[in-house]
Amino acid sequence: MPTLQFSSVSEFVQMGTYSFHVWVVYLLFAVFLGYHLILPGLQRKQFIRLQKRRAARDAELAARAAGRHGQSDRSAQ
Amino acid sequence: MWLWFSKLGSPRWFYELSGRWLPWLYGAMALLLLVGLTWALLFVPEDYQQGHTIRIMYIHVPVASISLACFPLMAIAGAITLVWKMKLADMVAKCVAPIGLWFTGLALATGAIWGEPIWGTWWAWDARLTSMLIQFFLFVGVIALRSAIESPDAAARACAVLAIVGAINVPIIKYSVEWWNTLHQPASRISMDAMSPNPPEIWVPLLIMISAVYLLFVISLLLRTRNEILVRERRSQWVTDLIARSQS
Repeated sequence: MPTLQFSSVSEFVQMGTYSFHVWVVYLLFAVFLGYHLILPGLQRKQFIRLQKRRAARDAELAARAAGRHGQSDRSAQ
Repeated sequence: MWLWFSKLGSPRWFYELSGRWLPWLYGAMALLLLVGLTWALLFVPEDYQQGHTIRIMYIHVPVASISLACFPLMAIAGAITLVWKMKLADMVAKCVAPIGLWFTGLALATGAIWGEPIWGTWWAWDARLTSMLIQFFLFVGVIALRSAIESPDAAARACAVLAIVGAINVPIIKYSVEWWNTLHQPASRISMDAMSPNPPEIWVPLLIMISAVYLLFVISLLLRTRNEILVRERRSQWVTDLIARSQS
């Protein structure tokens, strides 16, 4: 059965004399986790927002074109 | 088999299937990370030579070993792109490159931080370290090549060729510690014997961390590939429907 290796929190933070080395590695790993798990979600949201805006603009342009088209039809009559 | 293969090539099918897998993968990874990190940080005994820097191993070894899987995967996806022109294979090849770059970069960085107290140097032109640095630059090369070629089809073919040629570096990295006797230690043999230099209390948490980081790699690749599918298939009906239905 594994046993706990530290008797106090300060001992855990100090990691012998290697607090800098151990904690920087674990900090880098935390950044790494964030990059892999959070960034794709943000990119996905941004893309969906962009596509929705594009779709709305296309719909508006189509409606305007249809409106103009309708007017020109009436003026021809 | 062929039906399965052609189905797998369908981005829509892959998107829907991966969407069903992701929650399970997230759950398994979170559980393994929780157990692995707690064990590595709190319960692994101090090494008689390295002291607490042994805890760096539980990040360095999983990340470095999985970084070696990226190039072969990219090469296989590249070969499928060249032979069968499967769209999905090129999407995977594109998405795995930045992931491989990050894995290799973190392996080099954590290795340097571990090397400083143990070897007395951040960096040495050792065979393992140098071949890993070459892998890092190969990933930079693949990413730069893709962004430099405007035609997506030509970029896909060029990157596929570079991935296949570059994969030769992977066995060199893997066996560098055996072929050349330099600073980096060879892989340790695992043993069930509690008195051996590598007893289960050392390698079991390592195995848990390797599994957790493997799942992280799979999740990251799925998330990126799903985004790439949405971008490339944005004009197809199912993607426009999906975007219209989504909340954000």
